[in-house]
Amino acid sequence: MPDAVIAFLVRRLLGAVALLIVISLVTYGIFFLLPKLAGVSTDDLAARFAGKAPDATTLEAIKERFGLDKPFFVQYGEFMKTLVTGGDYDTGTSTVHCSAPCLGYSFRTNQAVTPQLLQRAPVTLSIAVGAAVLWLLAGVATGVVSALKKGSIFDRAAMIIALAGVSLPIFFTGLLGLAYVVHAWGILPEVNWTPLSQDPAKWFTSLILPWISLALLYAAMYARLTRAGMLETMNEDFVRTARAKGLRESTVVTKHALRATLTPILTVFGLDFGLLLGGAIITEATFGLPGLGRLALDGVNQSDLPVVVGVTITTALFVVLMNLIVDLLYAVVDPRVRLA
Amino acid sequence: MRSSKVISVAAAGAVVLSLGLSACGGGDDSGDGGGGKAKFDAGSKGIVNASDKKGGTLVMAQPDDFESLDPANIYYAYGSDFFRLYSRTLVTYTSKPGEEGTKPSPDLAQGLGTPSDGNKTWTYKLKPGLKYEDGSVIKAQDIKYAVARTFDRGVLRNGPSYFTQMLEAGDYKGPFKDKNLDHFKGVTTPDDSTVVFHLKAPFSEWDQLVMFSGQTVPVPQAKDTGTQYGMHPFSSGPYKWQADYKMKQGGTLVRNTYWDPKTDPNRKALPDKVVVQSGLSADEIDNREIDGTVQIDLPGTGVQAAARQKILSDPKLKANSDDPLAGFHWYMPINTEIVPNVECRKAIVYATNRDALWRAYGGDVGGEMATSIMPADIQGREKGTDAYTKAQVGYTGDVNAAKQSLAKCGKPNGFAVTMLFRSDRPKEQAAAEAMEQALGRVGIKLTLKGYPHGTYTNEQFGSPAFNKKNNVGLGTYGWAPDWPTGYGYLQAGTDGKAIQETGNVNISMLKDPQIDKMWNDVVKVNDPNQRAQIYNQIDQRVRDLAAIIPTVYAKSLLYRSPKLTNVYVHSGYGMYDYANLGVTS
Amino acid sequence: MGAPIEVSGSEAEAQPDAVLAGLERSAIQGRSLGQIAWTRLKRDKVAMASAVFIVLLIIAALPGVTNLLVSWFGSPPDKFHQTLVDPTLGTPYGKFGGVSGHHIFGIEPTNGRDLFARVLYGARVSLIIGVLATLVSVVIGTLLGVAAGFFGGWVDMVIARLMDIFLAFPLIMFAIALSGVLPSSMLGLSGNNLRIAILVFVIGFFAWPYIGRIIRGQTLSLREREFVDAARSMGARNSYILFKELLPNLVAPITVYATLLIPTNILFEAALSFLGVGINPPAPSWGGMLNQATELYSVAPHFVIVPGLAIFVTVLAFNLFGDGLRDALDPRSR
Repeated sequence: MPDAVIAFLVRRLLGAVALLIVISLVTYGIFFLLPKLAGVSTDDLAARFAGKAPDATTLEAIKERFGLDKPFFVQYGEFMKTLVTGGDYDTGTSTVHCSAPCLGYSFRTNQAVTPQLLQRAPVTLSIAVGAAVLWLLAGVATGVVSALKKGSIFDRAAMIIALAGVSLPIFFTGLLGLAYVVHAWGILPEVNWTPLSQDPAKWFTSLILPWISLALLYAAMYARLTRAGMLETMNEDFVRTARAKGLRESTVVTKHALRATLTPILTVFGLDFGLLLGGAIITEATFGLPGLGRLALDGVNQSDLPVVVGVTITTALFVVLMNLIVDLLYAVVDPRVRLA
Repeated sequence: MRSSKVISVAAAGAVVLSLGLSACGGGDDSGDGGGGKAKFDAGSKGIVNASDKKGGTLVMAQPDDFESLDPANIYYAYGSDFFRLYSRTLVTYTSKPGEEGTKPSPDLAQGLGTPSDGNKTWTYKLKPGLKYEDGSVIKAQDIKYAVARTFDRGVLRNGPSYFTQMLEAGDYKGPFKDKNLDHFKGVTTPDDSTVVFHLKAPFSEWDQLVMFSGQTVPVPQAKDTGTQYGMHPFSSGPYKWQADYKMKQGGTLVRNTYWDPKTDPNRKALPDKVVVQSGLSADEIDNREIDGTVQIDLPGTGVQAAARQKILSDPKLKANSDDPLAGFHWYMPINTEIVPNVECRKAIVYATNRDALWRAYGGDVGGEMATSIMPADIQGREKGTDAYTKAQVGYTGDVNAAKQSLAKCGKPNGFAVTMLFRSDRPKEQAAAEAMEQALGRVGIKLTLKGYPHGTYTNEQFGSPAFNKKNNVGLGTYGWAPDWPTGYGYLQAGTDGKAIQETGNVNISMLKDPQIDKMWNDVVKVNDPNQRAQIYNQIDQRVRDLAAIIPTVYAKSLLYRSPKLTNVYVHSGYGMYDYANLGVTS
Repeated sequence: MGAPIEVSGSEAEAQPDAVLAGLERSAIQGRSLGQIAWTRLKRDKVAMASAVFIVLLIIAALPGVTNLLVSWFGSPPDKFHQTLVDPTLGTPYGKFGGVSGHHIFGIEPTNGRDLFARVLYGARVSLIIGVLATLVSVVIGTLLGVAAGFFGGWVDMVIARLMDIFLAFPLIMFAIALSGVLPSSMLGLSGNNLRIAILVFVIGFFAWPYIGRIIRGQTLSLREREFVDAARSMGARNSYILFKELLPNLVAPITVYATLLIPTNILFEAALSFLGVGINPPAPSWGGMLNQATELYSVAPHFVIVPGLAIFVTVLAFNLFGDGLRDALDPRSR
């Protein structure tokens, strides 16, 4: 590996770590401070983790166990320490070791957070990958054709449809799909998570609706981006040169113009996909899918701080990683780009 | 508290422990059932497909998950109904349809508790020959340990706190912090088969308390894993966990060969295997119930809107469904601190549109118009007379009477208060909106405000300070008893002593000397009938004070899979009796 | 880019440079940018139709007009019509959700409230929040974007990182947490006015980086232009360059992206209401109606369709208009 690449990687990794620290600090801070600002007492907070009508003894015991009375930096410090070096968790009868990277134990279910994230990740991953494949294929293809046939009926129609696509909230298309495609017409089965390993056919059919609803939203945006990018690159010198060399138009389009166009699209895709991997909150809420987004949403509603911080950090990690991958891919896709 | 899907989830989420009573009585005590061939609501009245045939696999499903599988850490009815498959308590509910089901029946114990020392000491004798899943003997000391561990409220925090509050145990902190069990004086074990509870004060309904709580399920100290025990509780019942339970995925129960049916009259344990599937979508569970691949929807709060329409409009499906009372009373407390004048409170009750509320909670399938505060089959409960309202379909309130009351209250033009509701419960939102409309007719201006159910009963509506600060005059609420007597139902909500700073249930802030006196007296009365009379008086007094608006006794539409045998609605849980179901293949 | 998770809504950032290019060209031609843009816009039928729709919607959402329309075509938004609803199923009697001469969009399940009135009142909430939140984003985004682009150096670095952090956050979670815990009265506001203020702040605050990034980029490239150099060489102070040279040239891109941000923010508001942290009932909002519809979508699909279409059509109109506006300022993308 050339030195430049290594230096680039090191710099990016350091930046990523710094970003993750800031994000965890902010998340922790927001969820620690918000209740305080809203006048929620530590008793109230403790009551969120107790059963019906908890008595004072119960609240005291819970506060002590979760350290809810401790100052912010003590709580955050302990969290970071456990994350980096692992930690010990007291079950009452014994001590369980949770090795790094340990995101702690849920206040709610007493379960370690990391395995929960791993359990939910396949759901979100399935949603995100399926939808991404759909929207990239549909979006880029439409964009290319639109650009090549600029000004045609197809172009105009495609661009208006694209705008319609971005205007469709997923909780509208989703519910509509459920009402008609699933319930009224019975074309697709109920949306319900089935692991790919358990039953590939079911996995596929029950995810079709979420994929389409989600892809509809993004495909439109990618079609417009592709079209704009193509129009720009088609006028650039290297494309003109390629044409002048007498290459076939199809070669010019795929080998040269499209590759260059893909660069900015990759950037956008990195961020979109990364964020989606961290939990497609609204999609999962609309279809009742048990992914990371639902985990986070439940965590927020139940003040389960370890879970919320866990998902947030994971999301940020995905975004950072995707950005890194995208930057590395640049060099492959676009001959004009060098890592610097 | 159980996290509910943002989407759907019938309003009757399992927030408060349900302990419903079968609606129309008419229970068949004989045990061999009304033999009812499938008829609508037959399961609410008697046993459908009575059978003793063993075998098959029973599949149960749920959208979310249990709060825990550790019986000591369970507070909700469906969890309590379910844990009987792998756990036994000293005393349990009688396994019979109808009112019989609400009565205590000995389980591990030979008989009900023997009180002494003026109801301050309760003694139980264990049956001989009781064994755990590994063949070891169940000892009295294991029950003492089980009770002791619930004193560590940091480790076991979801279960009820009656034992920690009522047992004479000094400042004992639980066996995790204090390993010497001799330091725990609340329970003593003179020998291997005798369990003695020592109370701080007399309490007449101790058997009922032991019956509803999972905290006397024996736990051998060596098998305890603290917060993790719920992943694989050690079985004393007819089934044992095949492997660790997986949250939001499920687990499988197989037969515990050491369980002796001769010691257990309350469990038939017919299927060979019980499979639990967690984390399915609620609509998917309904579909699978109807197509037969799932037989039980665990939470027992009824089917979703889609299935409801399907079932009610298809006579065949309808015949395979039941619509029992679920044990909840959806009522509305009026805060007597915010609206101190009884005339003003009467105005609220007079103006209430009962018909609109009944519709908001789902019409005739969703519930029954409430008269008393105690729901239908609380032992000895009387229907009571309507105070300032009418429990009638079509009754929209008495605007003139309301205006007169307002005038007497000195506020002829009305007043303004805030009304709370659970924002993630569409039915409660509809009810709050109905109140806003109805009270608006007489000039009582309601500002509606919703909060998620996760914090509602503790931090907002259950916090007197919050209500005071935000001028909260009333709100939607639901309550089911811990155990089915007037004490189990009414005490927390009406006794002045029961007011708490967090998780308050006496939301009306009742501190009525008459009511408080009755509560002080009733715990010393040993005759259940006499106690019931007092409970009825309290109920009437609360309504006379216009401190609670009776609203709707919840009903849940349950699909009764034709594959199920020996199926009936158990009044103690307000849903099917999970320990006595059978399944045909 | 992307926008707050899954609430995309516009391709706001598609071509930041293009507008600037259009702007440059117009300067050469010697006619004012406004005139040229207007001429081009007038020719764009789709954009003009959208503009007309938006204007009509705004007029319809004015209190007096709404009341008048509702008195003609519906009934007050909070009035119950329970006799029109089946008490067992909770669904309206009749076809298409109880559509009739009195209720042209049908009625709500359970309570039987008039959907036409509720959609119209909901429009006001959506428009107010969408527009005000955009204003918040534009103010924050412009200030920070210009500061970053103009001063460069460490200022730029700090602001750029700040934007990175915002973009890597699952913002909707924070918006939920934030709107869920704030007190019921503060700053002299209470009830739904406070709720709207909170939503405006939350949405506007979380959406500023999208404007910020564009403005930063624009400022960076403007800073290097001849006319700025000329001003600087004549001894102009920073404040003069900022207010007299840069800001006037940023007005066009700000207008375009603000127009494109409004629909995003309308969707964001709908998403928050859908997740249960919108304005308080009984005041209607589109997302709130869809939230209530989640339990009933299979038995009362019209309850999904009516508010859903309202969101869709409104958002689409803003997007089409914004798109047209950009094209008018940038002929190249046609």
